[in-house]
Amino acid sequence: MAPSAKPISSPVPDAWYPTLAFLMLFVGLVVTASFFIYEATSSRRNRSIAKELTTGAVASVFLGFGSLFLLLATGVYV
Amino acid sequence: MRFQLGFALFLLAVLSVPVYSDLIISKVDRKIDLTSQIVRVITTLKVENDGSDTVSEVLLAFPDYQAKNLVYLISTHNEGKGKSKGLATNLPIKAVHPEGMPPELSFFAISLIKGLGKGESVTLDVLAVFTHSLQPFPEEITQADTQLVIFRDSSYYLSPYQVKAQLLSVKLPNPKVETYTKLENTKLVGSEIKYGPYEDLHPFSYTPIVVHYENNRPFTVAEELVREIEVSHWGNVQITEHYKLVHGGAHNKGGFSRLDYQARPHVRGASSFKRLVARFPPRAHSVYYRDEIGNISTSHLSGDSRKTELEIEPRYPMFGGWRTAFTIGYGLPLKEYLFESAGNRFVNISFGCPMGDIVIDNLIVKVVLPEGSKDISVTVPFPVNQMQEVKYSHLDIVGRPVVVLEKSNVVPEHNQHFQVYYKFNNLSLFREPLMLISGFLFLFVTCIIYMHADMSISKSSASYLAKLQWDEVQATIQQTLNIINQCLSVHDKLEISLHDLSRTGDVQACKATRKAADVLLKELSKDLKPLLNFIQASPQAAQIWPKVEELIAKEKDTQEKLMLKISMVVDSYEKKSGGGRELENRVSALQQKLTVLRSEIDELVDVVGEI
Repeated sequence: MAPSAKPISSPVPDAWYPTLAFLMLFVGLVVTASFFIYEATSSRRNRSIAKELTTGAVASVFLGFGSLFLLLATGVYV
Repeated sequence: MRFQLGFALFLLAVLSVPVYSDLIISKVDRKIDLTSQIVRVITTLKVENDGSDTVSEVLLAFPDYQAKNLVYLISTHNEGKGKSKGLATNLPIKAVHPEGMPPELSFFAISLIKGLGKGESVTLDVLAVFTHSLQPFPEEITQADTQLVIFRDSSYYLSPYQVKAQLLSVKLPNPKVETYTKLENTKLVGSEIKYGPYEDLHPFSYTPIVVHYENNRPFTVAEELVREIEVSHWGNVQITEHYKLVHGGAHNKGGFSRLDYQARPHVRGASSFKRLVARFPPRAHSVYYRDEIGNISTSHLSGDSRKTELEIEPRYPMFGGWRTAFTIGYGLPLKEYLFESAGNRFVNISFGCPMGDIVIDNLIVKVVLPEGSKDISVTVPFPVNQMQEVKYSHLDIVGRPVVVLEKSNVVPEHNQHFQVYYKFNNLSLFREPLMLISGFLFLFVTCIIYMHADMSISKSSASYLAKLQWDEVQATIQQTLNIINQCLSVHDKLEISLHDLSRTGDVQACKATRKAADVLLKELSKDLKPLLNFIQASPQAAQIWPKVEELIAKEKDTQEKLMLKISMVVDSYEKKSGGGRELENRVSALQQKLTVLRSEIDELVDVVGEI
């Protein structure tokens, strides 16, 4: 082992995974809820595709990272 | 014995071979450790150069029947002498086939760091490890019998050089010895048999000895062990070990009585073993022990800062020839096993199995690297077979590269660290989250498309057209309500400015607000007009129209009354009349009406909004 070798650790400390999973999934689910509320309540004519797409994108980023951290927190190291 | 006769013939052949070189072994001390199923021979050689040429190689000789079981051979050399021993240096060893040597022998050459000049001497320590060298005799025993094994070697040190003085000691697990070959200068002391000292022996001197003794130590042999080391850059090294164990000792005959075993396990099951101990590195977590049926609950985990110890019991006690298969898994923190140097990452982890005193016939180590690793190379301190595979695991697209290392006959001496070097771009770390994100995004986009798609089959039916119109009416009413709400917020703003006026007396500010509000309201009413026209014209809105009309009227009324109120108040301020009692009454009357109107409007907005 070379003396110059430096250890590599995960980009986020392991201990944060459960908290991160909870927070991100919570935010993600709230945004998802708002997305579906918007879909259900606005009529077809005055629905804005840009708003739908941004809400969807934000929700999927949060849900994506949230579920990743959930997997990591439960021991499924992807 | 047939075996001994064979060697007598072999000796005749050997003795006719000429002296190989000018080296002389002035002293040999051999210690054979037979306490476990693995035979360890530690030889201390003092080699002298008697010739005139410098010698750089020392030959070791093993008879073929031993060489085929030789799994580990290492030679160390201590620079210092006596108590001032320095650090031992490992000397390179390679198999050689020198000419003119008897074919029944295998040779290994130790390369000396400095050549051995005339008259110089060097002391070497050689450790040789043999597996499957203890032959159970009898080969089949009952449950109550103890296990007896036979070990064969030579009482003289087999060497191509002349040996001046030598000693041999054989260490046994206990003093119970069935028989052992008695030669001159042989004595049994406790659990140790001593041969020698013997002096001035010719090259290739050989006298077979046989030791038949009791050995009830576990003969744990892993016929196959697959170790899978999965590296995740998210902070974990997951190790999964699949064992196929067999008791390699004397086979069990006459059946197994659980009753006898349970009553006196040490007597009626002396040759069996029922527990194994695995030593994991410290901070091992998520340890499990299971087989094909499921979890095996007979295990105990304990640990401290230096190690984690897992004691496991197979589902049944292991007797000779019995097999069992199970899986152990555990996780290790990444930062203790993964390092970076000069742009390369490398995994530095132990090669062998965590269980002590186990012989592995076939060990397969698989190192699963994260997806996206490139330029993989492996450094192992001993020769192994190398292969590459691809494994598909969680959230993979192209699969993870797997380095497969295969080695047969592995003993605990092979528990050395090896390194797998690879290149990895940190951005590849985000492949997994990106996959999850795109999965969720796909779901949302599908929803959006579904909500926007027109799924009706007949585009000209009356109901379809009616639905379209109704959608339009709904949209228009929604817009109308939006405008009304804007108007209401303008009203609120005006009220606030009036309030400010009463507080500060700033008439100009109030006037400016009113002007802006006027413009805004005018624009809004302009926007409102086409919407109202549409609602009035469409037959489907007939029901709701009166309400909308009422709402608009009320809003207008409010607007007028509000303006009136503002004018009155502003006037009173400008004239500095201070506001007579009459004015105050009128304003408060207006205010009452406004409040009533406001609540009516709110109610109407709710009603209209609910269509």
